[in-house]
Amino acid sequence: MATLRRLREAPRHLMVCEKSNFGHEKSRHKHLVETHYHNYRVSFLVPECGMLSKELKNLVMEIGPYYSVKNLPLHELVTHEFIHTFVKKGSFSALTYNTSIDEDNTAALLPNGKLILSLNKDTYEETGLQGHPSRYSGRKTMKFSAEESTMMSYFSKYQIQEHQPKVSLSTVRELQCPVLQSSSLAGEPEEACSALELFDWLGAVFCHADLDNQPYNFISTYRCPQPSTVVAQACLCTVTGFILPEKINVLLEQLCHYFDEPKLAPWLTLSVQGFADSPVSWRENEHGFQKGGEHLYNFVIFSNQDYWLQMAVGANDDCPP
Amino acid sequence: MPATAYKRVVYRSPSEHHYLKVCLEFQEHGIGLNTAQFKQLLVSALKDLFGEVGAALPVDILTYEEKTLSAILRVCSSGLAKLWSSLTLFGAYKNKKCAFRVIQVSPFLLALSGNSREQVLD
Repeated sequence: MATLRRLREAPRHLMVCEKSNFGHEKSRHKHLVETHYHNYRVSFLVPECGMLSKELKNLVMEIGPYYSVKNLPLHELVTHEFIHTFVKKGSFSALTYNTSIDEDNTAALLPNGKLILSLNKDTYEETGLQGHPSRYSGRKTMKFSAEESTMMSYFSKYQIQEHQPKVSLSTVRELQCPVLQSSSLAGEPEEACSALELFDWLGAVFCHADLDNQPYNFISTYRCPQPSTVVAQACLCTVTGFILPEKINVLLEQLCHYFDEPKLAPWLTLSVQGFADSPVSWRENEHGFQKGGEHLYNFVIFSNQDYWLQMAVGANDDCPP
Repeated sequence: MPATAYKRVVYRSPSEHHYLKVCLEFQEHGIGLNTAQFKQLLVSALKDLFGEVGAALPVDILTYEEKTLSAILRVCSSGLAKLWSSLTLFGAYKNKKCAFRVIQVSPFLLALSGNSREQVLD
């Protein structure tokens, strides 16, 4: 019986859903974006929009480069010169590249100046540092995000390379969108969908799944949650790379301003996915990779400046703040 | 409309479904499968390991790319272990050796729209 029960178990996951308004004095939206440091993918969806405005498009195209430095010894990150040149100025973030948090040694430098090392037992003993065991069980290539000209010259003795984030823009026609009510996270029967349903639907859209299958279909029975409406077109934009929280905050603000003029769209969304192998999720909360390594968040921005914020994590993560 | 009041709700394991990004690799090249054949293959993988009851586990193919034989699957959370183990132990289709690669698994479909482990810095 115990075996049968174990067969039916899936790893635990957590989803925090918040609703608030950007005008509220105590709204935490900026802080939550700022403290999610290692962002791999940012995407937004604007219903009833065929083409992005010039401001939004420029913002996306100018998110800014990130850098990779090969064979960088970690001790370079704790030199007085490095701290003075980059860390004290703030907005400096770094993460080891191609290291799996559940297998390899991983390092990350946070914008607040803290260096987080996730080490296996042997390496930990060799360093002689004081740490604590992971709650969930070198010389590396590191990727950085910081001010341009200084980076290239500072790391010139190592192989430093600049990378531009990849941007993809597309328009989807005849898109089924859930009907939402900003005051109701749990939805209303036959009137509005819930935040959980919206989150699933958003995944289906960005994965390009079919949203209108019949319940007897052999291949897939997935359908857009009801109630829903069909919008003539929607703009999808995705940026992947190594994206600073400050840039995401600027993008969030610009998306809020989308509703300064009357628009057909009742809401739009902004989703951010963190690096699966980052040692932290929000602030200094330890992040691990059990089956998925996911830590992501999504804003639903309503036309009246109400918003929903959904923060999702997997099994080896604390509850988002 | 007046601004909404602040509210926070924490859900523990709310997803009724889990999502898998998988890829089927054959030892031989040039073997093609359409979506229906791929679905039939999943059903036989489940049947091989868990019998008729296992084969009845509802699995949706949300996306399928015939060129790469890769797909995003949806299964109820209580069926994840059965589906995943069936894929792991599936070794041949019509006497041709093959293997499933499970690339990503998550209770959140949105997490499957990107995979940071696939990031390549050229």
